[in-house]
Amino acid sequence: MISFILIILTSLFFSGIIIRTKSRTSGRKGPGLFQPVKDIIRLFKKGAVYSKTTSFIFQAAPSIYYASILMAIMVIPLGEYRGIISFEGDFVFFAYLLGVGKFFMILAALDTGSSFEGMGASREALFSMFAEPAFFILMGSFALLTGHTSFQEIFASLHFGSYISYILGVLATLVLAMIAMVENSRMPFDDPKTHLELTMVHEVMILDNSGFDLGLILHATNLKFGMYGALIANLFMGSFPLYLTIPIFLGIQLLFAVSIGLLESFTARFRMNHNAQYILALSSVSLLIFLGVLLMLGQFS
Amino acid sequence: MNESILLLFALLVPVAGMITIPFIPHPFRARLSFIIVCLVAMVTTVPAIKALGGEEIDSLFDNSLLAGNWSFHVDRLSAWFILIINLTCINGAFYGMGYMKQYDAQRANLSLHWVLFLLFQASMLWVCMAQNGLVFLIVWELMSISSFLLVLFDHQNKTTLQAGINYLVQMHIGVLFLAAAFIWVYYSEGSLEFSAIERFFSTHSNFWLFLLFFTGFGIKAGFIPLHSWLPQAHPAAPSHISGVMSGVIVKLGIYGIFRMVFFLKQDYILIGEIVVILSVLTGLYGILNASVHRDIKKMLAYCTIENIGIIGLGIGLGLLGMGSGNGLLVVLGFTGALLHTLNHSLFKSLLFFTAGAVYQQTHTRDMEKLGGLIHRMPQSAVFFLVGAMAIGGLPPFNGFVSEFLIYAGILLGIKSIGIASNTLMISSLAGLAFIGGVSLLTFTKSFGTVFLGTPRSPLPQEPKEVSRGMRLPQYFIILIMLSVGLLPSFYFSVTGSIVSAFVPATAGGSFSVPAALTNSLSSIGKFSLIFLALPVLIYFIRKRFTRRHRVATGPTWGCGYTAPTAGMQYTGKSFSKSLGKLMNFMLLEKKKYREIRTNEVFPPERKYTSHYNDFFVTRVFDGLVDRLLYSMNYFQFIQNGKIQMYILYGIFFIVLVFLGTALKLI
Repeated sequence: MISFILIILTSLFFSGIIIRTKSRTSGRKGPGLFQPVKDIIRLFKKGAVYSKTTSFIFQAAPSIYYASILMAIMVIPLGEYRGIISFEGDFVFFAYLLGVGKFFMILAALDTGSSFEGMGASREALFSMFAEPAFFILMGSFALLTGHTSFQEIFASLHFGSYISYILGVLATLVLAMIAMVENSRMPFDDPKTHLELTMVHEVMILDNSGFDLGLILHATNLKFGMYGALIANLFMGSFPLYLTIPIFLGIQLLFAVSIGLLESFTARFRMNHNAQYILALSSVSLLIFLGVLLMLGQFS
Repeated sequence: MNESILLLFALLVPVAGMITIPFIPHPFRARLSFIIVCLVAMVTTVPAIKALGGEEIDSLFDNSLLAGNWSFHVDRLSAWFILIINLTCINGAFYGMGYMKQYDAQRANLSLHWVLFLLFQASMLWVCMAQNGLVFLIVWELMSISSFLLVLFDHQNKTTLQAGINYLVQMHIGVLFLAAAFIWVYYSEGSLEFSAIERFFSTHSNFWLFLLFFTGFGIKAGFIPLHSWLPQAHPAAPSHISGVMSGVIVKLGIYGIFRMVFFLKQDYILIGEIVVILSVLTGLYGILNASVHRDIKKMLAYCTIENIGIIGLGIGLGLLGMGSGNGLLVVLGFTGALLHTLNHSLFKSLLFFTAGAVYQQTHTRDMEKLGGLIHRMPQSAVFFLVGAMAIGGLPPFNGFVSEFLIYAGILLGIKSIGIASNTLMISSLAGLAFIGGVSLLTFTKSFGTVFLGTPRSPLPQEPKEVSRGMRLPQYFIILIMLSVGLLPSFYFSVTGSIVSAFVPATAGGSFSVPAALTNSLSSIGKFSLIFLALPVLIYFIRKRFTRRHRVATGPTWGCGYTAPTAGMQYTGKSFSKSLGKLMNFMLLEKKKYREIRTNEVFPPERKYTSHYNDFFVTRVFDGLVDRLLYSMNYFQFIQNGKIQMYILYGIFFIVLVFLGTALKLI
């Protein structure tokens, strides 16, 4: 429960921090921290324009997407404290819940009959497909290491002690952060600031959404950031008491947001037609984690 | 009432129906066929449910004419498959009544169709009950032939004929393997009863005989590289037949494999590893091919291959569990496989039924010609959507439950000792996740291309929603699917009891399901329900909130372009093009087009065609068949058309037999 509240809180200022970091690095003052939230609230109050081509799928999809993200957040624990949903193998449920949301967003994009949105949908489906094995290999390796299969038990029993485990922590952070970038369509896989529809992924999928629906989608993106940040934070919490975990959580979220801002300020997007390979390369990083786990368990001797 | 008498009815009722149908007036034939399908289903469901409760039913037909007793036996495993067959056949027959109306003019053909449908259902049921190798082969053959004839309904069509012949030949290659296996057992143990196979396994090496059975049943089930009949036969058959074929006939291959797996006595690990590797490859191959094909039924057929891979993965995990004495792994693997068998038969028949509805209304199976059907056929669109979600394993539908069991099995198996099994498990985990991802792509593509957007080409008639008779069975299927998704614990306990009845205690058969697993399953049920309700709640809030907001409609935002046409929409082909390109070592694209040359100032109209070929067919089998035909040429002198020579062959043969018996060689 506590993680659920914390993630919702994080979602309020996460993109604000990213935007502020980007402004600072480019020498601007930048908008306030809560500007993205204010934008979303403004969108909630606005009317909507629907395309004549669309059907009920287009209207229902944002709600389903938002619900899937909310459900997925419920699975995330905070150190010792389990999430609202917690059972053996809950991370499979987590991944498939996110799949439902993605499924409907892709369909909503196709529902408009626009060639640009179809292209974005195709890319989203392809990229998230290639990100899937990386996540599962990562979690499988942790399951092998800790002997548990639920998020809370895995994170609670992850202990950093040996050199290999530090490397594993770094690699796992990298994989989770990169998956977060793929899932949220950010740099270096997708450029949310691009001006040409042909080079967009996520932005082009939601071209036709407006009003309340667009607000839902934008807030869901922020929630997703908070969710992946929470996953990364959980890697470092172990079984600390609550007065330590909450600062760790917030600190890591802050660090995550700032590093996304820095990353977006100083890197360019990968070449679109090589994106799939880059994402698939994440699986090989996950495989490195798996090898590390095998080393730690002494399977090679 | 005695259950064995019911089983006798299961033999007699279809025969009576087959004789009656041609003699009654044409309009009642389909209905009578449906009633008889229901009757047969009833008389077999009663013993099946009893058998699931633990009361096994034996019945012996003393038949002195045909070599001894014909024993039929209903145990828990057969009962599970009998229930699946009955469910799918009732739905198929009900749907078929509506679907076949478009062929009402072909009276004789239809009459034969309904007669064969009865034989088809009955022979599948008999396959599940037969306990004698000879009887089994006979009913297996009946099943293959009846389904072959059902596929050939549209027999004027050349591709249908070709697909049918292909199916027939491949099924007989399968029978060859099965027959060889049964004969081997007969020579070794002196009996064709199934119990002899168990005796054989306890005294001989298990691997080779299992391999024979696995190949024979694997052709039916569609494991690679033995799958090539599936993508041809399914598009050729009428939709309810493809639904039933994909839903159950393929599963009878799985039934056979299960039967043999439960007889195994040793070599579990070796066989398990092979089955796991083959299954993951089958799954990947199936779904990758499904993602690029534009024929909707071909896409579904490849998707069947993928699901067979998932089921096989469950079986392989169970075998590994038996080998390592890990009872929980046995249960997770086998129940996952059994439950996925049920689930796949549900959502695949649902998807084939909607594909049939689309075909009936538009007369094309080519997805690229369709579009925007959701406005004309909203209910069919919802059916397809539900089927697509379920087959992708998305909660809250049933596909997730069985895939979750298999995931749980893999995650348990990961902890087993040994670097080889660790690696095998992590690869299967990644493979299964990847399969899930590709199936998301495949089904968003299919649903998007067929039902969303605007129509891509003019259709011969305005499509409209199909008749209520065709929609009713689909609602029924969705209800059952939801019941699996929301009550996973119940279905798990049923399949768990099947597994515990068969797996010997020494191989991990005695187990207790840990509380964590039951907790997981009930949580999945509970949270799936919440997940059903939550979007509705958010949607409701959205509706309340935006009640007074101004809502306008307009054209889709064309990014500044003012004259978009339907032809500019993203096509299914382009949707999966990048994936096809990345996987081009396996997805062989065949393009036909002429490049524009530099000196062509005014290029004329030109055509561009592209289609994907099956890797195994083009790269392996076509070459083999060509060589075979070439070498067969050398033996053409035997078949030279001279009757005198043929008579001479006959005489040679008789003399040979005579000498053989005289010299006591035969």
